[in-house]
Amino acid sequence: MSKYELPKNFDYKNVSLLKQFITETGKIIPARVTGVSASNQRKLTRYIKIARFLALIPYTDMHK
Amino acid sequence: MKKYEAVIILNPNLSSKVDSFIKDFEKLLKANTFNIKKMEDIGRRQLSYSINNHNKGHYLIFNIEGNAENIINIENKIKYNESIIRHLFISVKEHDGEDSQLLIDSRNKKSESEDEESNVKNEVKEKPTDDEKKNEEEIVSKEESIEDVSSDSIEEDSKDE
Repeated sequence: MSKYELPKNFDYKNVSLLKQFITETGKIIPARVTGVSASNQRKLTRYIKIARFLALIPYTDMHK
Repeated sequence: MKKYEAVIILNPNLSSKVDSFIKDFEKLLKANTFNIKKMEDIGRRQLSYSINNHNKGHYLIFNIEGNAENIINIENKIKYNESIIRHLFISVKEHDGEDSQLLIDSRNKKSESEDEESNVKNEVKEKPTDDEKKNEEEIVSKEESIEDVSSDSIEEDSKDE
């Protein structure tokens, strides 16, 4: 499994980066698929959830 | 003293009144011992899902610093402000002084859309040449001939039966 290199500093504002780690339906892709390290996966999850709240990325593709 | 990042999504219909809102918000912050370190006006942005029947929102990001106890007073005031459709305070360890990716993206989009507008104007000037029209006519005639053949074969089949 290839390790995915994430930038050192990223947060909920890097929308294009976060979009690479959600599926078309908006789910968070597991680390065993993407090869992200455990600590980075925890960060990603946190930031994706903040970005969802701020309507930067969708919760699902079923939004009206 | 604690450091926070405040994200505020304003009603897009009030985009023109952003400046007065920012001044009011600054006053509110100062009354509660908060200092603004940096302010980013992202501008109007498409929301990923509609909030209170709004499809667009005006994003503002503030880097602020102040006493943690007073943040509740600010939130109580913001809650009943109808021009704010969503807000979030996040505590951070350090403020990075650089522009956020969100601001950079919005700037890039603005310059792109301007480029597209100029491109569209150029395309309108170019009219389709005569050669292209001829090609279209040829294709149409070919399709007609194919239809004729298929109808003939069906008739033959029926005769056999």
